Amino acid sequence: MKTFIAAIVMTMAAIAMPRTAAKAEDVTLTVWTHEADEDAKVAFRELAARNLEKALPGVTVKMTWYEKNPMLAALKTALPAGQGPDVFYVEPDWTEYVDAGYLEPLDNLVNWNNIQPWARQVWVHNGKTYGVAQEAYTNELYYNKDLLKKLGVELPANAQFTQEQFLDLVKKAKAAGVTPIAQGVGDRPFPGAYILGEALLRKLGKDDYRNLFTGKLSFDDPRVVDVFKWVKQLVDAGAYPKDFMTLKLGESHYYFYTKPGALMLPMGSWYTGRAFVPVDKGGQPQDFPLGIMQFPAMDGGACNQCKTSNVGASFGINAASKHKELAAAFIDAMSTPEMGKRWIETIYLQTGIKADVKQFSGPHAAYFTELMERQNGTDYFIGGPLDLTRGQCKDSFGQVMNSAFPGGLLPVDQAIKMMNAACYKG
Amino acid sequence: MLQGLGQRGRREIDARRAAPGTLTLFLAPALLLYAGFTLYPVLRTFYNSVHTIKPHGVEEFVGLANFSELLHTDFVFWKAVGNTALFTIVATVADVFGGLLLALVLFSRAPLAPLLRILWFTPVLMSYVVVGIIWVWIYDYDWGLANQILRAIGLGAFEQSWLGDPHIALWSVMATHVWKWLGFNMIIFLAALYALPGEVLGAAELDNCGWLAKLNFIIIPMLRPTIVNLLVLSFIGKMMVFDLIWIMTGGGPLWSTETVSTYVYKRAFDWNTFDLGYPSAIAVVWFIIILIFIVLMTRLLRQRDRLEF
Repeated sequence: MKTFIAAIVMTMAAIAMPRTAAKAEDVTLTVWTHEADEDAKVAFRELAARNLEKALPGVTVKMTWYEKNPMLAALKTALPAGQGPDVFYVEPDWTEYVDAGYLEPLDNLVNWNNIQPWARQVWVHNGKTYGVAQEAYTNELYYNKDLLKKLGVELPANAQFTQEQFLDLVKKAKAAGVTPIAQGVGDRPFPGAYILGEALLRKLGKDDYRNLFTGKLSFDDPRVVDVFKWVKQLVDAGAYPKDFMTLKLGESHYYFYTKPGALMLPMGSWYTGRAFVPVDKGGQPQDFPLGIMQFPAMDGGACNQCKTSNVGASFGINAASKHKELAAAFIDAMSTPEMGKRWIETIYLQTGIKADVKQFSGPHAAYFTELMERQNGTDYFIGGPLDLTRGQCKDSFGQVMNSAFPGGLLPVDQAIKMMNAACYKG
Repeated sequence: MLQGLGQRGRREIDARRAAPGTLTLFLAPALLLYAGFTLYPVLRTFYNSVHTIKPHGVEEFVGLANFSELLHTDFVFWKAVGNTALFTIVATVADVFGGLLLALVLFSRAPLAPLLRILWFTPVLMSYVVVGIIWVWIYDYDWGLANQILRAIGLGAFEQSWLGDPHIALWSVMATHVWKWLGFNMIIFLAALYALPGEVLGAAELDNCGWLAKLNFIIIPMLRPTIVNLLVLSFIGKMMVFDLIWIMTGGGPLWSTETVSTYVYKRAFDWNTFDLGYPSAIAVVWFIIILIFIVLMTRLLRQRDRLEF
């Protein structure tokens, strides 16, 4: 009997041992990422995950796809509890993750040869780099070429109207029954401030623009007041849709190119993520006459060639991760020159990944060529108000400059007073 | 013998005669859950409110600094308090008395009463997310049903940005909330109405008591305990309103629909910080205010009626 039992135990041990050995090699890397609703980005990151799994047998990359707000709520509870994924989606203005020490410095972990230096710089805090930029974008002013022609207006050679010409354009569109600017702030704290923000950047120049949002320059500055007054003229001329306050970001795209149609849409160049998908998924019609103009030049502007450029989707490594090397390998797998090329060719968006793309092909090649043309001679301001502001100032930016002021709910003096109260430290 | 076993069995499961150990054994799971998921979070919130919570478990005692900032300099908090108070009072009254009205319509055997009962109760079965999204569509300025109807009947001049105008956004959300909850109160009232003693109502009819007099002197006084209970429960629920506001307006425009709960969430999860001290201070202040209101309401209304929560 004893022999029989011993035989069973030995057999079971023999069966169990190889499985135990296999388990020791198996690693599951957890990744939390936003942008579940953008098919091209989902495909891009899933491809990188599968590539890594092929390169490293035994490794499984488990991607969890979120919308942004639920992901933020999950991260803010998981990380303090010592939980959370190995790799997670981050954006440059989420500095609290850096300050709190939840992001691992990546300087000696990832391959920086494949990342553009300016994109890396965005993520440098106190001499250490905490994120790898994947998505880069510029603020652009998209327009409908046919509608502009119908209004009898010709785009200047430099693609930039003066502020007076731009106001006239808005009035002409409104008089013709066309919504001048498709924009809505129903679910985001920034799109309503595209026109105002870019106008402030051009008027003030890069240094004072930064000073304004970091509390060193008063909103009472005459140049700032001038810009607010000009935007107020646009608002009073009916620049924005009636449902501006509730129109959501995705809906504003559809509003622009499908129903009811609008002349212009100020948007980050990640416009393509929603527009360049099949029409039945809410994309723009194939024959849509999409054009890109520069934001208008300000009278006496300190930097009319300035434009906001920023890094969007980025990835960081949880400082508490037990698989930091592997997490870095996953980030590297998303950041190869081949993947950078793929990003541009499938997502039609700038990237922080170095990619050798000299010629563009595919159905949207003309768009990307025009986008690149609009970058000629541009002086970039890296970052935006949401990156520069904190706490009450950030909240007031969302409520006042993004929403109530362009929504026509506040006069200039009150808007300035509210912004000063929240932001100015002088 | 079987009878004897039965008697012994009944004795064994009589909780009043159970040994303390047995009672503890049966109460422990519920008490542990209560302690873990209610008592501890409440105590922890009080603790957090006098600290600044820093990452990696570092806590800095700040005394009443959070409360001082909250009460003296935070204008959004006071805006949120005002909005929540207005929402609570108006929506509670509308919910409860609206529900009573609907129940009376059904109780009086109005035509199509069974159909109306289903129609009025259906919104109760829907989640806040679904209700919120539906009503955001209804309120849409361009293609929303509300403005379409106004235009169709020649009242286009009254079309509104229902959720975009700070003067009416809170009222629009309130209307949605009332739409969702009327049916719930209606069902409670209907059950209470059918439970009224038939002989009293019959006697009133024999005395040629009119419908209004019957309502005023018999039905409402007899429904008083139900009304009081629903008022208190509704009041407490609305002081914590979050879901619908978050889905429909996120607290905007210009904080016109900000409630204390949405503000706590924003300060906790949307403020570029991991500090839960300040949001906890807001929660503590609001907890105390709610507690005071409950005590006051209980004292005012409980004189003749026993409240059952």
